[in-house]
Amino acid sequence: MATQIVMDHSGDSRHHFDTSDLKALAEAERRFKVLTGHGFTAAVRQANGGVSLLRSFDPGVEETLFFPRLVGG
Amino acid sequence: MAVWLTVPATWVGRAVVDLVRAARNAKRRRRARIDSRATRGITLLREWLSPRQREQFDYYNFFEVVGCDSGKSYRIQHGISTNVIELDRDGRPRTGWCLVPEGNLVAGDVMLAQKIALETDERGALAVARQFLVPPPLRAELAPTL
Repeated sequence: MATQIVMDHSGDSRHHFDTSDLKALAEAERRFKVLTGHGFTAAVRQANGGVSLLRSFDPGVEETLFFPRLVGG
Repeated sequence: MAVWLTVPATWVGRAVVDLVRAARNAKRRRRARIDSRATRGITLLREWLSPRQREQFDYYNFFEVVGCDSGKSYRIQHGISTNVIELDRDGRPRTGWCLVPEGNLVAGDVMLAQKIALETDERGALAVARQFLVPPPLRAELAPTL
């Protein structure tokens, strides 16, 4: 089971999906494109504790975090 | 005549009491929602921090990240704005950077977005950030080492 975590006003919203389910995978890919299209950045945790950015949907990623565009405060 | 005046006064009194009670309950529910949001944000942040950063955050309420482009260190303090401090080589505050994710996010989410941005796209993050001056630290405020 993979998870997409989206930061929002409620803290975060979590979308779980089965990576072996093609329909769920297509929906997850659509969500990825919509969010990144709206300026969200997608990030994944590395095994060594680091973080990297995800430029395109990867069905093999277990957990993806989306955060909104950063602006000067 | 007295009865005609007393009955409506009782109704008004009850209505006022009900209104006050409803407002108090609404305030309590809102407080609980905010607390729950804040807790979720901190939980998510802690999950994504490295073990050292988590230890720092739990102890000092801030953690340090290293910029991916310059190798500079930044201290991210608990907060939702003006909470990113660039450190010099000796760990002293050098300058402040204000960059926040769009939307009304809780502190944990804001700090996590700042951490990821500085660790993966430092130049891009600082390009949109606004600088602010930080006062020179007192001796006792120098960055502690774990």
